[in-house]
Amino acid sequence: MIEFYHVYKQYVKSQFALSDVSFSIEKGEFLFLTGASGAGKTTLLKLIFKEELPGKGQILIDSENTNLIPQKKLFKLRRKLGIVFQDFKLLNNRTIYENIAVPLLVRGIRRPTIDSSVNDALALVGLTHRKHYIPAHVSGGEQQRVAIARAIVANPKILLADEPTGNLDTELSIEIFKLFERINANGITVLIATHDDHLMQLFPRRVLKLDKGKLISH
Amino acid sequence: MNLIKSTFTNAFKNIFRNKLINFLSFGIIAFTLLIFGIFNYLTYSLDVFIGDFSRNIEAIFYLKDDARQPEIENLITELEENLLVKKVTFKSKNQAEIDFSRRFPELEYALSEFKDSPSPFPASLEVTFRQENNIDIKISTLIKEVEKLSIIEGKEVNLDWAKQVTNIKKFISVVGFFLSLILIFISSFIIFNVIKLNIFFRKDEINIFRLVGAQDWYIRFPFIIEGALLGFVGSVVAGILLFAALKLFPAYAAFMFNIVKGMIDFEDIPFNIFIRLILLGTGIGLVSSFLSLRQHLKPSND
Repeated sequence: MIEFYHVYKQYVKSQFALSDVSFSIEKGEFLFLTGASGAGKTTLLKLIFKEELPGKGQILIDSENTNLIPQKKLFKLRRKLGIVFQDFKLLNNRTIYENIAVPLLVRGIRRPTIDSSVNDALALVGLTHRKHYIPAHVSGGEQQRVAIARAIVANPKILLADEPTGNLDTELSIEIFKLFERINANGITVLIATHDDHLMQLFPRRVLKLDKGKLISH
Repeated sequence: MNLIKSTFTNAFKNIFRNKLINFLSFGIIAFTLLIFGIFNYLTYSLDVFIGDFSRNIEAIFYLKDDARQPEIENLITELEENLLVKKVTFKSKNQAEIDFSRRFPELEYALSEFKDSPSPFPASLEVTFRQENNIDIKISTLIKEVEKLSIIEGKEVNLDWAKQVTNIKKFISVVGFFLSLILIFISSFIIFNVIKLNIFFRKDEINIFRLVGAQDWYIRFPFIIEGALLGFVGSVVAGILLFAALKLFPAYAAFMFNIVKGMIDFEDIPFNIFIRLILLGTGIGLVSSFLSLRQHLKPSND
């Protein structure tokens, strides 16, 4: 599903953000990507959804080499993915409902289908009662759940989450992880970047561990 | 279909999201297009006026005060018999005074000075010529011959007027052309920069749209529509203002109105003028927003 072959990424000359990273993730897998701050977790995720390009190496998503995807076809790769960003990336001038509907709107889905998919996603993350609020008027945990709902609403093949519980208390973090488990149970591959060891112990899964850009365990 | 509907909806919503900038631009674009419309209408009207003039060549021969009736009648007969002449009308001194009063009622006071003396206006012969094929030269020759007669004080030929109006029209066309170029450039510049600002304001939104799988055109199209709408609405407002300006002209510039009413048609304003304005405004909007997008909205980083 996701394959990295000797991937390097360098932002500044003297330092590699990622160095010779190789691994593969099977379809339907649920795994963690961990490492200290600055280890390269976010960079690795960005390489998957092609917001960054590797300096060297090959990345295959669903057997397709991302280096060979032209700009015009990039949307096809991104439609396979659902992404939960560390900073949520919600639109503050739109309601929670409208935020979640964005991936469906850009795909040209019909309004009744959008309605039912968004309502399902809202129910899954437990935010039906907040659908007409704007993100600024709900808590950080609720914003996090909006971001998750938006990531799963269009039924992606892969869900990527960058520190999805970074701003949440333990109780809420556990709830969010349980939510990821439910999403994974529907066959969606889930890759979560986190440095929360406690949560990883509570949800024992395969772990990709990065240290200063090198993959030290997978 | 849903995508197109959604992009149009986005474009409309975005205009209302940045109300201040967009409504200011509507105003400036409307003003610049109004100036363009005024010049366009002026040249159009003068064209029609010159056309009408050239179709009916007319000459007025002013008669000397001492011209005797038999001499005048002889001249009328001679002219009527000439094949180049269509119609001859004699206008007496009194008739000329009445016509003047009717045409310029506000100058009535000037005539009251001559109340007890004979009419200050000369009697005249108004001659309309037939204009078939190329007989302008023959008409000119005939006019010159009549002018030489001893009973003729002077002459006025509308062809001379037509030439002068043509010169004025050329001048207005040239000024209008350059002014329009400048105004079109200003409108384009405004739309170009409004779209640039809108791209900047919506940077995060554009990024999110890209990350959730929007195609490039889905992101660009609303900006193009916004540009076209800015131009379209600006030109519609300019059209309405132009219509109002022409219709209300007699009210706010009565004196000027009397001078130019023969040259400029304030009644039947052709619809083409408005169509041209709207096409121009929308075109400027489309092109400027397209150029702005090319310059400021680069494809995502690959």
